Amino acid sequence: MKVSVDQDACVSSGQCALTADDVFDQRDSDGVVELLDANPPQQRLRDVQSAAAGCPAMAITVRP
Amino acid sequence: MSVAAEPVQLPLARPNVLDLAPLYEVLRREAPIAAATTPAGDPAWLVTRFTEVRDLLGDKRLGRSHPHPEQAARITTAAIQNGPSGNYDTEQADHTRMRRLLTPAFSAKRMRLLGDYVQRLVDGYVDQLVTDHAAAPDRVVDLRDGLAFPLPVSVICRLLGAPEQDRERFHGLSERMANYAIGADAERARAEFSEYMTGLVEAKRAEPGEDVISDLVRAQSADEAFDYAEMVRLCVGLLFAGHETTVNRIGLGTLFLLTHLDQWQALTADPDGRVNATVEEIMRLGAPGELGLLRYAHTDLDVAGVTIRRGDAVILSINAANRDASVYADAETFDPDRAERNHLGFGHGAHFCIGASLARTELRIVFATLARRLPGLRLACTLDELEVSPTLTGSLAALPVTW
Ligand code: HEM
Ligand code: HEM
Ligand code: SF4
Repeated sequence: MKVSVDQDACVSSGQCALTADDVFDQRDSDGVVELLDANPPQQRLRDVQSAAAGCPAMAITVRP
Repeated sequence: MSVAAEPVQLPLARPNVLDLAPLYEVLRREAPIAAATTPAGDPAWLVTRFTEVRDLLGDKRLGRSHPHPEQAARITTAAIQNGPSGNYDTEQADHTRMRRLLTPAFSAKRMRLLGDYVQRLVDGYVDQLVTDHAAAPDRVVDLRDGLAFPLPVSVICRLLGAPEQDRERFHGLSERMANYAIGADAERARAEFSEYMTGLVEAKRAEPGEDVISDLVRAQSADEAFDYAEMVRLCVGLLFAGHETTVNRIGLGTLFLLTHLDQWQALTADPDGRVNATVEEIMRLGAPGELGLLRYAHTDLDVAGVTIRRGDAVILSINAANRDASVYADAETFDPDRAERNHLGFGHGAHFCIGASLARTELRIVFATLARRLPGLRLACTLDELEVSPTLTGSLAALPVTW
């Protein structure tokens, strides 16, 4: 799967990092999303999709 | 007659703590942006459909401030969300600063680290409930006083650096601030809360600690644009937002599970596997309060065939949006296994709840622990017997349970 994030849209909620901390992190200074893994293994699909659905800025795109 | 012909009088009374007024269903279908009259008697727009609520929460053309605050529609007589707040000219800058200051303290990583501490607290409260249960002649204990209330309060006190022994005091103040049945006393409570907080702020200035209030005191003294009154307001807001809301979701979540025993049994059979989805479903449906999130239009805007004028009050009903049948299959049904995994329970967009990671951490630990340790949990009264206080957050006065 392919994941991308839009750091300009991100509102630093941290919900992605709470849901899939192997894929998303937050910058220490301002909490903006950082992508740790742009090609996570397929078994992470459900969590990554949850993170995308739960993002309050719609800043996460997932292509299975 | 169409529902849109006459303004909808708010609040719409709910049949019980778990269900919403049936009129919301009609509004979503026929008038997703309806003219309404607020509890204070002023005009406002009531938005009920998921798409419009989400889009307007993400729309920078609306804000919490008003271009002419003295002319703004009033919502209630409670001291929170009664009307506009903040300065129209600096709202965005003030808000950005607030988020920048607070975000690191409530990051997902920090909250995960707090997990062990929360787990120890929850275990301690459950131990005490077990002891009280054994000692009670009728085997009934109050889950609100024994867990739902003390947990979020302890956690937010520790994060903010507020003394836990003051908890009854600031809880009383929070309840009065959010009460719309007591008129001017709600404002007095806000003033008292500010006074209390000013004392705490000054104590932190003299003796800073590793806590959020100390951080804010430091930031305020280093930044001329950050005024003192705003800092105090923010600290009050955090103490308020950090406990009432979570107390309510623990109470409502317990009610949802114990009135849907199949779901409770599924959770007890696999607490770790099911708790996250269960908590999200609690967040979707567990909606106290009868209004919604308040904004004022900062320009004229056209939405779903309605023209909202600059300065109009807009009430975004996240409760109604979270039950929109065009988004959720069997929207009114409590079903943690549903395919839809998003909701607006923590808001959306720029004002999305700062405490969401904290709240999710607390709720997950609470429900996993209850399922593991008290699998035989049952309600000790009927839904109708539960008493709800007349506050914006609609909290339960008690939650009698047994096992
Ligand atoms: C630091 C500032 C603020 C914080 C921390 C805060 C926090 C919250 C939280 C946590 C809730 C959810 C309550 C619940 O559903 O249990 C809430 C609800 C609400 N807030 Fe705020 N808020 C703040 C400022 C404001 C302002 C300035 C306004 C309006 C001008 C406002 C209007 C509302 C409204 C209308 C609700 C919905 C009440 C209901 O569910 O009926 N808030 N707020
Ligand atoms: C289950 C518990 C909680 C619920 C349901 C909840 C809900 C909400 C909602 C709906 C909003 C959006 C308000 C708006 O858009 O006007 C909000 C904002 C906020 N919440 Fe929470 N909240 C919870 C817990 C917490 C906790 C534990 C904190 C702790 C600090 C907190 C702090 C805040 C703050 C500071 C805001 C204002 C954010 C902003 O204006 O940018 N909340 N919350
Ligand atoms: S969930 Fe969305 S808004 Fe929140 S940190 Fe992740 S990308 Fe940013």
